[in-house]
Amino acid sequence: MGNRLRCRVMGLALSVLAVLSLPVGAYVRDYGRMVVEKQSLYASIFVYERGSIRTLMFGQGMMTPVQSQVDLKAPRRHLLEYSELAFCGLFYQPQPKRLLVLGLGGGVIPREMRYYFPEMEIDVAEIDPEIPPIATKYMGFETDDKLKVHVEDGRVFIKKRLRHNPPQPKYDMVILDAFNGDYIPFHLMTREFLEEVKGVLADDGVVVANVFSSNRLFDAEFRTFVEVFGRAQAYFGEESTNVMLAAPGPAGPLLSMRDAMEKARAVRQDRKITFNLVEVAQRLAPKAEPEADAMVLTDDRAPVNWLREQESGTR
Amino acid sequence: MELNQQAGIETSTARQSGMRSAGILFVACVVGWAVMELEILGVRIMVPVFGGAIYVVTGSIIGVFLLSLAVGYMIGGWLSGLGNPRRTLGTVILAAGVCFVVMASKHKTVCEAIFNLDWDVKWGSLLASLVLFGPPTALLGTVSPLVVHWLSEGSGRTGYWAGTAMAISTVASFAGCIVTAFYLVLYSLKTTLVATGLALVVLGALMLLIGIWVQRESVVRGSTNG
Repeated sequence: MGNRLRCRVMGLALSVLAVLSLPVGAYVRDYGRMVVEKQSLYASIFVYERGSIRTLMFGQGMMTPVQSQVDLKAPRRHLLEYSELAFCGLFYQPQPKRLLVLGLGGGVIPREMRYYFPEMEIDVAEIDPEIPPIATKYMGFETDDKLKVHVEDGRVFIKKRLRHNPPQPKYDMVILDAFNGDYIPFHLMTREFLEEVKGVLADDGVVVANVFSSNRLFDAEFRTFVEVFGRAQAYFGEESTNVMLAAPGPAGPLLSMRDAMEKARAVRQDRKITFNLVEVAQRLAPKAEPEADAMVLTDDRAPVNWLREQESGTR
Repeated sequence: MELNQQAGIETSTARQSGMRSAGILFVACVVGWAVMELEILGVRIMVPVFGGAIYVVTGSIIGVFLLSLAVGYMIGGWLSGLGNPRRTLGTVILAAGVCFVVMASKHKTVCEAIFNLDWDVKWGSLLASLVLFGPPTALLGTVSPLVVHWLSEGSGRTGYWAGTAMAISTVASFAGCIVTAFYLVLYSLKTTLVATGLALVVLGALMLLIGIWVQRESVVRGSTNG
């Protein structure tokens, strides 16, 4: 009964899962010449080069968001706001020993965390097998015995760890960064998923999620975070629509702006962090709360694309 | 006068047989829709447990649907020789509906249990797809040959009816795909599965009842004649 038609229709239906992504504010907007063009099962991967600056994108065109941008001559420089914002987890857990990052991209977050916390063990879960070699070859990313990349769906990676008996050491920090690009994995945004994340998180740990503030999906994500972790705080980007949602574990603190700035100063001094971490603390909106009528995303109902097309009510 | 009566009887028989064909094709449409709705919902069922990797979605799910349909076509072909198509069709559609309803509350348990076998997710997702989607899809697959057999009974136009039934049910499959992926995604997976399952149960039960009634009628008529 129309096998080929069925497959084609299936493909069409899947592409519905992929909807417009919002542009992320990049400092260097002329990306220069293309050095990599690769079609993976999940994305069209492009790397551009201009001087010492390399830009990683999934797809071409004006509206395509920048996944990652690095200055190979100045690796400590954060060219995109979100990778600085992702450090906000340190205000809740300044001494993380184990970090889990979902989504590799150009590898800036794990690489910089590895640099400032040389004793920290880092696991990265990345679904696309084509990404790690490109991050290594072109984006200045490196794995070693303490920084490992697992080519696996992030949720499957966490579920496998939960299965271990006795449980493996828990993570002090989990950074969820698999949401950008055309691939919108609804199963990495639901209440059930966050419950699983909670299962691998230490009591004094923190979960940080890189999301976008400009649509109703953000309200739903914020609400779902609060539903699972009891509380969550938001750091709104200024140059981009990126927002970091931070949820401390049960033993972690909730911060005022002053607390966050104090923690930022202390961590910055302790780890000799070169960018201005205090500015990240200033992005905290301590009073921000999810809209009361926002949807809690569940495995049963998570219309992520539809929510993305609606305007946000928060803020 | 007598001639007129004869013509009147002929038109009403033609109308009756037209209605009957439309009814049978409607059943084929409902089933065509349900198969593809389940296939699209299958992604939402599998991905939270086995992940969004491409082989789970395009390999395990689509593959299992095609295999199960093949099994269903085969069985449907055998069943078509049994007579009383209403009862056979009613039974398989009712059973498929029950599968939908059961799946609505049990899919997570089944997927988690298979995931915890600690197989590679490729094989785990394949097994889970087989267990969850195999039975309802095979049951719905039996409908095509049964419908074709019933439609072409006595007409000698098997090819015509096979073409018509397949075309119409595949168009319904297309509609099921689009509506599920574009709009039903806004609603709860569980609600969608239960609603579709109940619709199939009602349709199946109705056909079964009509089948039993028709059979009794013919038995009664047969006995008075004898």
